[in-house]
Amino acid sequence: MRARRVDWRNASDSDLAAGFADGDDSCLEESFKRWGSLIYTIAYRALDSSSEAEDVTQQVFVGAWQGRTSYQESKGSLPGWLLGIARHRIADRQRARARDLKVVRAATSQANVKVESQPLVTLIDRLVLVEEIQRLPHPRGTILRMAFWEGQSYSQIAERLQLPLGTVKSHARRALRQLRVRLEEVTSWST
Amino acid sequence: MVHVNSALLAGHALGQDDALDAADQEHLASCSHCRAELDQYRRVVTLGQGTQASETPTPPLDRIWRSIQAELAPTSATEGIAATKTMVADSVPPVTANDSPASDVPGGDEAENDKPVSVVAASDETTDAGGEKPIAGRRRKWWPIVAAAAALGLVVGAGATVIINRNDVQVAASTALSALPGHTGHGTAELLRTPNDPELRVSVDGPQPADPPSYREVWLINSDGQRMYSLGVLPESGTGTYPLPTLLANGLDGFTIVDVSIEPYDGNPAHSRNSQVRGSLPE
Repeated sequence: MRARRVDWRNASDSDLAAGFADGDDSCLEESFKRWGSLIYTIAYRALDSSSEAEDVTQQVFVGAWQGRTSYQESKGSLPGWLLGIARHRIADRQRARARDLKVVRAATSQANVKVESQPLVTLIDRLVLVEEIQRLPHPRGTILRMAFWEGQSYSQIAERLQLPLGTVKSHARRALRQLRVRLEEVTSWST
Repeated sequence: MVHVNSALLAGHALGQDDALDAADQEHLASCSHCRAELDQYRRVVTLGQGTQASETPTPPLDRIWRSIQAELAPTSATEGIAATKTMVADSVPPVTANDSPASDVPGGDEAENDKPVSVVAASDETTDAGGEKPIAGRRRKWWPIVAAAAALGLVVGAGATVIINRNDVQVAASTALSALPGHTGHGTAELLRTPNDPELRVSVDGPQPADPPSYREVWLINSDGQRMYSLGVLPESGTGTYPLPTLLANGLDGFTIVDVSIEPYDGNPAHSRNSQVRGSLPE
């Protein structure tokens, strides 16, 4: 236990990871604040159950905390590590669910099954990306959302946001690069 | 060699038609470096465009955090995260969201209230089952590993194999029982090791359907889905204790699914195929 209490809210992910691995429990809370929602969302989308998503989220953070000494920064970022744990927990449940469905179907013919078709890794990548896009500050995030999801051209965006065209282009580029790097960083453990 | 500007590549990946001129295109055709960079942008764009509106409910972060704290709460003075126990609670009224009765809805796939108490291990206060909800202020909540078909409302608590001593009766395993679609109720099943024979204690909290007249029956179903034992009638109180067939004394041998069915008074000994709640014991 650390007697000293550091304010981790503005800490980099990397510093936070170091504190986490070092057993500073306020880092656990900060990590939960940063990524709890993301992990819950992924679990929810993968399992289509809020109760299971809650359980997975809990397991991920409890498991990460209990296994914190095995975290190595050289192998990936803290969120990447958490996502890797989440991926395993979700996959466990999907397997168990598939097994149970077979059983229940055979036993009572009460099945009415929803099949999860999207590969888990892709799902995680997608949701990480959405989360990251939502975290991009204005106007970068706005520009990217308009270009991504509304299919607007740079000049349309520039006009709507009243920004110089060059600024829009440069934001879009930086945003895309930032997302690319983030995606690699965060999903490196999951592959 | 002058590579294509990253901004242009990014623009191209985003479908901005005018991003690349002829020279850029030509360069791209012959430069693997630029193509690799473009591919990475494209991957981001493809992923991003394919995912948008999310119908995900707002994560109940406060509740999850409290569960994390509860699970990591020290079992001795030297471990755990005692210092953080009240961090979130400071900013949140100490009402457990778990006490919300909202999910007792037929066909609901949430079954949130239906899944506490998977393993009663290490809890000194003996819960006498009954599908008891987590109590505010209770230090330990056991959120079971729910490996279940939510679409079916089937929640299978994979309890641990921890053996605890409850007087001279040991709870070798337990599971939450959850309502199947179209039904309400929840409960627990505990596998008891006694000085004599093993027993299964089942407790269901939830109404017994009154119309048409019916009774409830407890079953152990094999995970192969082919075989089952009837353990007997569940009393109207919702709680019953059943001796197990002797061959299951040293292991359930696959008969791990605890099922409570609703049976019409038709004299037919077969399972009605109308189950109220169900759960799964660890092997």
